[in-house]
Amino acid sequence: MKTLNTDRRQLMKTAAMAAAGSLVTGGVSLPVVNADQAVGELPAGEGLSWNKAPCRFCGTGCHVQVGVENGRVVAIAGDKAADVNKGLLCVKGYHVGGILYGNDRLTKPLLRKDGKLVEIEWDEALDVIAQRIMKSPETFAFYGSGQWTIPEGYAAQKFMKGGLSNNHIDPNARLCMASAVTGFIATYGVDEPAGCYQDLDECDVLITWGNNPAEMHPVLFSRVTDRRSRGEKVTIIDIGTRRTRTTDAADDYLEMKPHGDVAIALGIMHLLIENDNYDKSFVEKHCNFRALEAATPTLKGEAITEDEYRKRIAKYTPELVEELSGVPAEKIRMLAGLFANRDRRITSLWCMGMNQHTMGTAVNSLVHGVHLMSGHFGRPGDAPTSLTGQPSACGTVREVGTLAHALPGGRLVAKEDHRQQCEEFWNLRAGSIQGVPGYHTVKMFEQFTKPTSEGGDITTMFVQVTNPGQTLPNLNKLFNSKQGLEDKFLIVSDVYPTASTELADLILPAAMWVEKNGVYGNSERRTQQWFKMVDPPGDARDDTWMTIAIARKLFDLGHEGMKDNDGEFIFSVKDETGKEIPIWEFEHYYDTNVDKHLFEEYRQFTTMKHKNLAPYDEYVKARGLRWPVVEQDDGSWRETRFRFSAFDDPFVSEGQEFEFYHSTSQDGRAQIWFHDYTPPPEQPDQEYPFWLCTGRVLEHWHTGTMTRRLSPLNRAMPTAYIEMNPQDAKAANIRQGETVVIETRRGKTELPVWIDGRGRPPAGSVFVPFFDETKLINDCTLDEHDPFSKQPDYKKCAARIVKKTAAG
Amino acid sequence: MKRLTTIFLSVVIAVAVVGYLAGMLDGIPNAEGMDQHALVTSLDTKAIEADPKLIPAVTYAEIAQTAMGPTAAWSNEAKALPSAEYDLYTKIEPSEADKAASSALRASRRAYNGAPPIIPHAVENTTDAACYACHGQGAKIAGLRASVMSHQFLANCTQCHAPPAPKPFQNIDSKVDSSFVGLPAPRQGERASKGAPPTIPHSRWMRENCNACHGGPHGWAGMESTHPWRTNCTQCHAPSAALDQMPDSDAVPMLPPLDVVTN
Repeated sequence: MKTLNTDRRQLMKTAAMAAAGSLVTGGVSLPVVNADQAVGELPAGEGLSWNKAPCRFCGTGCHVQVGVENGRVVAIAGDKAADVNKGLLCVKGYHVGGILYGNDRLTKPLLRKDGKLVEIEWDEALDVIAQRIMKSPETFAFYGSGQWTIPEGYAAQKFMKGGLSNNHIDPNARLCMASAVTGFIATYGVDEPAGCYQDLDECDVLITWGNNPAEMHPVLFSRVTDRRSRGEKVTIIDIGTRRTRTTDAADDYLEMKPHGDVAIALGIMHLLIENDNYDKSFVEKHCNFRALEAATPTLKGEAITEDEYRKRIAKYTPELVEELSGVPAEKIRMLAGLFANRDRRITSLWCMGMNQHTMGTAVNSLVHGVHLMSGHFGRPGDAPTSLTGQPSACGTVREVGTLAHALPGGRLVAKEDHRQQCEEFWNLRAGSIQGVPGYHTVKMFEQFTKPTSEGGDITTMFVQVTNPGQTLPNLNKLFNSKQGLEDKFLIVSDVYPTASTELADLILPAAMWVEKNGVYGNSERRTQQWFKMVDPPGDARDDTWMTIAIARKLFDLGHEGMKDNDGEFIFSVKDETGKEIPIWEFEHYYDTNVDKHLFEEYRQFTTMKHKNLAPYDEYVKARGLRWPVVEQDDGSWRETRFRFSAFDDPFVSEGQEFEFYHSTSQDGRAQIWFHDYTPPPEQPDQEYPFWLCTGRVLEHWHTGTMTRRLSPLNRAMPTAYIEMNPQDAKAANIRQGETVVIETRRGKTELPVWIDGRGRPPAGSVFVPFFDETKLINDCTLDEHDPFSKQPDYKKCAARIVKKTAAG
Repeated sequence: MKRLTTIFLSVVIAVAVVGYLAGMLDGIPNAEGMDQHALVTSLDTKAIEADPKLIPAVTYAEIAQTAMGPTAAWSNEAKALPSAEYDLYTKIEPSEADKAASSALRASRRAYNGAPPIIPHAVENTTDAACYACHGQGAKIAGLRASVMSHQFLANCTQCHAPPAPKPFQNIDSKVDSSFVGLPAPRQGERASKGAPPTIPHSRWMRENCNACHGGPHGWAGMESTHPWRTNCTQCHAPSAALDQMPDSDAVPMLPPLDVVTN
């Protein structure tokens, strides 16, 4: 275990804990500890060691202390030294250790032969993959994840775009925060939030836009509500399409129609202008006005004058906004009044509600616009804050750029100078990287599930660290239709059997979380490192290793792209004597810290967009550091809490209070956008009378492959359900707990009904969580997506509820 | 023929009436909590006698003469409640059997030592105020015991404490197939010598209120302090710097040994 933190602590040795096992026997029911566990098998607490790791689940990025004994994780504690969570966790985080120990872990590579899965050795698995890529490199696609560690994503990125000259690499984060990215880029010219979680400690008003942090980012939400317990006054305003636990804590609840957020943001800006109480000084000094080009709209847009802006937004009166959003006009006036007051600090919080939206880019830009126009920006507590749902959506996807159109460090494949820089960093021949973006997620799966004869030009797909068989929208079109296509080959690397492995032709057993080294990047630009602490089960192996081992097979087969300009393997790692370490052989993978090598190489890319990262070893010492991390004169490394604000950001020019130094208009200014409201692509009608919204619950994370294997969590939420309003249930003669069929134009699934469930949807709308692999709501959802971000809308489509008897 | 018609019509009318009544019974969805039957559905006095929590139903005519108030169960238990305030100075002799039973019950609610306990009872309302009503001060009624919070007040209780399945889904088998084995609770601290105060064998994080388990009226049987009147626990019982995540504790920094010259 030489990979462990050198300053790891040997704890609890003094605590006499021998034979403690006898405490959990007896006749009581043991829902948590296995009732039949023999006493002797229980850990005794002798030799327990603790080490830090970020939590495996959401984008909050809490740090946990992992208690390991005899090579197994036996306990978890909130890390008191972590600034994000200050020692507290949520119920998923406290039980994260158990995710390694489901009895159905995948431990051998499995190849489908004549329809049956057969155990094979790793070498055969790598051969199969390499041969397929060799045969047709341009029809290979790599589908990754916001749960990829930074080195995993970076290795995949280099392998695809540099090695294979193939841009068909995209992550599940496309389904999760692509619109947040386009919103940031359109507004500031550079991605990711300017503020940090300190905004939650200092805001006077918290506005949640289609967001339920009480369940989805509970540690951040209780960071706000705990302030109330300490006697501070924080006003919470919840703008949503259904009542949630966040609403329970809110001072004001504004119930909007789906898509109403666009109108609300426009309405606030209209009133700020109309009442002439926007922040004129901030706007004059730091902002431009922008709108989409009429001919071919782009993220850059075109400049418009303030007068033009006034003219366009004039129609969004509180009365029109009420009509579009369902929120009463006086509440729009209340919101505008709040923003007009510069003395109160306002933080907006959003996540999937604004991102999984066919107007995702627009509504993200508009909410940034509200904050810019009102000057509620850049002071602690004044922030438009977009959260992420995955632990490294920011670190791996947005920063490493594992998207079909991106290159590391905020670069784009479409820009020649960016491609050249990457080729230089990678020591690859000029022209290795292609200039045309690859397929984004929805398109990638369309092309994969379309027969080759009909133009489906993706034939081999490698999926790592994600579960598209459950999370893609409109599964019947984008995933299930793969079945029976003989020449299509699906490779899935995962830790458990999932909805995706159901259709996989080759399944690779993966190591997870503290079974490998890793680096994540959370929602507040914080880069977090951890070490391997326990061994993966059976033949399960690291995802980075898989990518490198496939690349090496191709190198051995003579693929030119796997060689750099000096003829060396593109992932070559050498020891101090200059001898190459064969890291593609798993026995030698941990002879060195491959993560560190990849991270140090990747670090060179980060300075162009001022997202500077510190050396790997600095992250070993810290509970994460927020970029830009800049070296000081004394050799120490300083993180940045507030970007673009002179008091904290070292890159703001002398004499400026704020500077948007990556402005798309090249004048240090941010863009206040205008977008017209357009109605959602599918709305309830007579045939499909309900709004269907999908999402998560506190206890389960995403597709539940991890959390549904944890007893305390599964006990709390054993099944997905359809949440209904009592009126609707009554009208349809549907009873509590009754199983019904939910149907849309794309598919159907059966779910039990929970009338006024965890959340309370208004009449005419239903909510279904997507964690349950036996009840796939994504058979029903819509694959319509935002024109810029290509992110689909999982939050609204038209559905009908049919009693099972009537459905037959 | 006429007679047959009469019979036929009677049957038709009977069917219609039955159908109408049956139809009336149908069609009303039961919202949360509404599916519970009234406490007594028939005059089954045996059941009432057997379960003192049941309230005998009376006819409308009897209502005026019937005393309304606490159920028999409440009245019985009220007598059994401690007659006086909790007596700090009662001699306490913790029993090993009680300790084992308490420990087993505690362990059954945690995945490992230090995990937030699951909520062992149904919850209808998940607001903090609802939890705090019983768990703020603790309560002991009718054989039920509501533990006192061992940590300071924190908002959003269900963030850490997982409730049982929602009511409509309580019959679903939620068993998981896992080989996770959690760290059990420590059994005792270390004593320097016989009679010396034991060290604290667990982390104090989220366990700032020692009385939540070790004493006071709502502590766990078998884990009580023998001297609950003392108020400064760490005066005698040393916590563990390591368990409390104090800075690195591998070695205690000391000055170098004296440089003594020997011949």
